Amino acid sequence: MLERLFSLDYRRRRLAAKTAPGPLRDYLEVPFVSRQADSRRVQCIALDLETTGLDPKADAIISFGWVAVSGSQINLASAQHRLVHQQQAIPEASAVIHQITDDAAAEGESLAAVMADLLPLLAGKVLIAHHARIELGFLNSACELLYGGRFLIPTIDTQRVSQQWFERRNQVYRPGELRLGTLRNRYNLPRYRAHDALIDALAAAELFLAQLAERDGAHPLPLRDFLLRA
Amino acid sequence: MDVELIEIREFLASHPPFDQLTDEALDRLPRELTIRYLRRGTPFPPRDAECACLYIVRKGAIELRNPGDELVAKFGEGDVYSSACLPHDPARNLSGSTVEDSLFYLLPCDRLQALRDADKNFNDYFTQSISTRLRRAREILQDAPRAGGNLMTVEISALTGRSPVTAPPTTTIQEAAQLMTRERVSALLITEERLLVGIITDRDLRSRCLAQGVDYTQPVSEIMTRHLHKVTPDTPAFEALISMTRYNIHHLPVVGSGGVLGIVSTTDLIRYQSANAIYSVGSVRKCQSVSELVQVSAELPELQVQLIAAGASAYQLGQAISAVTDAITRRLLELAEAQFGPAPVAYAWVAGGSQGRREQTVHTDQDNALILADEYQAAEHEAYFSQLAQFVTDGLNACGYINCPGGIMASNPQWRQPWRVWRKYFDDWIMRVDRKSAMLATNFFDMRAIHGDDMLHARLHAEVLHQARDNKIFLAYMATNALTTRPPLGFFRNFVLISDGDHANSFDLKLRGILPVINLARIYALSAGIPEINTVERLKAAADAHSLSREGADNLEDAFEFIGTLRARHQAQQIKAGEKPDNYVTPDELSTLERNHLKDAFAAISALQTAMAQRYQTGRFY
Repeated sequence: MLERLFSLDYRRRRLAAKTAPGPLRDYLEVPFVSRQADSRRVQCIALDLETTGLDPKADAIISFGWVAVSGSQINLASAQHRLVHQQQAIPEASAVIHQITDDAAAEGESLAAVMADLLPLLAGKVLIAHHARIELGFLNSACELLYGGRFLIPTIDTQRVSQQWFERRNQVYRPGELRLGTLRNRYNLPRYRAHDALIDALAAAELFLAQLAERDGAHPLPLRDFLLRA
Repeated sequence: MDVELIEIREFLASHPPFDQLTDEALDRLPRELTIRYLRRGTPFPPRDAECACLYIVRKGAIELRNPGDELVAKFGEGDVYSSACLPHDPARNLSGSTVEDSLFYLLPCDRLQALRDADKNFNDYFTQSISTRLRRAREILQDAPRAGGNLMTVEISALTGRSPVTAPPTTTIQEAAQLMTRERVSALLITEERLLVGIITDRDLRSRCLAQGVDYTQPVSEIMTRHLHKVTPDTPAFEALISMTRYNIHHLPVVGSGGVLGIVSTTDLIRYQSANAIYSVGSVRKCQSVSELVQVSAELPELQVQLIAAGASAYQLGQAISAVTDAITRRLLELAEAQFGPAPVAYAWVAGGSQGRREQTVHTDQDNALILADEYQAAEHEAYFSQLAQFVTDGLNACGYINCPGGIMASNPQWRQPWRVWRKYFDDWIMRVDRKSAMLATNFFDMRAIHGDDMLHARLHAEVLHQARDNKIFLAYMATNALTTRPPLGFFRNFVLISDGDHANSFDLKLRGILPVINLARIYALSAGIPEINTVERLKAAADAHSLSREGADNLEDAFEFIGTLRARHQAQQIKAGEKPDNYVTPDELSTLERNHLKDAFAAISALQTAMAQRYQTGRFY
């Protein structure tokens, strides 16, 4: 509770001071975007992770997909899809979902290599993810594992944005209505057949553009209206 | 890059013009794009656009309007808005808005230019004028399926093997017969100083010499045919066959710039499957009764299927079907004369509508009339011609040419009149000047003599052409009528976009694509006193007479042929499926490319309709 009293950026500086030199420390030294900034102009990275399970402490990241969102447009040139080399065999259940087999994962890069590329990209930007708790949890675990420090980032959770939209209007919704595919359908976004980390990151990025467009264009849209409260 | 962004790559690969790109270019393309989302009701192109871009609609829809706020186009999934990258695009001054929540892929104009520079086919999409695209579309469509011999394109010169057997006009009939026997030919060309003056055939020897008791020591010039139908070596074999069917002849001399080259016979053409079909259906002259004619005409739908499969164009199909219908009509008249006796006064049986224009497909009504010589006396001759007309129109109806819903048939006493009455009819239509007379007159400007005394029709046609040409107000009424049906604007998803936002599931290719061109061509012809009846021939003649620009004529011809060929193909598919052929096409039947081409065809027709409306100020007549 006390943490809420401190701004996210204050917490970033505290964390940076406690973190050993390395990619995480470099990342944390770049100031966060102001909560007052216009959401239509901020630089974001939409990210999706495919994992072996839902527990960041026990499970591993199989793949990363990300794409940059600049203001109200997505730049596909920035799109990346990265596979992570697995120490353990991928549980069958998650292999079925992600269509990533042990063979493919064995060819992946080390987690450290991917994180070393991703962290500089995230510096000074906002993270976009659908149901961001998973991405935040696994990024945090990766940072603890690799750099011995905690991870922090201003985040837009597209699921949470829609949830708040329903709640503000006192609309009843079923949990299923907050799923990525269902929400995209509501905004007339195309149905994607493939499901990998990159396509899902793109799907979340497009959903965010739609959520942004839904807000009245005449008024300023401070970033804090969209940010997940940590 | 492996399967990254495969969803986007696949989307691009399935939509023009990106479907033209190489696999490598398609692999790279997604990374060049940015994505934007515009909510319904957002101005388009968006005012906050950061750069000039091409827009690909990934989901949603936009409407574009002209400065007068008329709807000009509606774009849906897969449609491309490229005007911002094309400095000379007339669509640049269109603006609009999204009519649904929409997702776009944006390609910056400089990246587009790089793609265009690297790929000629891709570039063509942006640089080709409507004319060029229409020309290509027509070629592709008519080039597509081809089974059996390509009678449609092979030139007569390829079929005239041996040098011709010739003799001078002074040769005796016996010497000619001996020469033909020795040379094993069934026709002999008669030449004088390398000039072709006549032909005699086996049949002539029988019917004009032996049967008539002509002395075989007489010169062949006594029995030879002097008025010759000839072809040039570059004539398509198909056209030669149509001429033979039309004039009921079995040999055609081939004459080039250097003189007689040879002779082509029906036997030379019969090796082609499609020729066989025409020939067998064309053998109506052997039919001895209406029921035999009904049997032969039942093969007509199959003829259309075969001709389309052989790659025939709408023009060629129209020529073939009309030639057979002409033959059936003539045979019915011969049978009628055999039954009721010879006609008491001369007459011309004329056919109008698509048969008159030689543009028939299998699904048509009959339009016909009788022009009788002025010696006609109703009290004496009415009964004869009434019987004759009833016999023929009933016969045609039995053969599948159903009765004209408007009653324009020779069995109707109003359209079975002596020459002087016809002349007065036209006088009334042309001089009375109102829309209704203009509409009635329309039916009779496409009439063509099928049987009897051609001169009765030719004289009438020449006089009324002259009269119509000089009456600007009459032409203006004709133009007003011609412009009542506009082609669709284009397509939007699986709908046809009619006008201001109206959608339809299917559309009538004849009403909305073919008739507008026929109507335009008729007015160009009338305004320049052009005697041609066939739409394509009218357009060509109109361009020669400067009553229409060459480009306009070419565009209309290409549009007409493209739409006509699509329609003929659509009907052929229905016939094959055992359905009744019609003119209704649904957008799902068409490929994306065909839709784009149809849109070009509509645009070409629409542009010339607008020009005609201005020329005749048709707005005043509504």
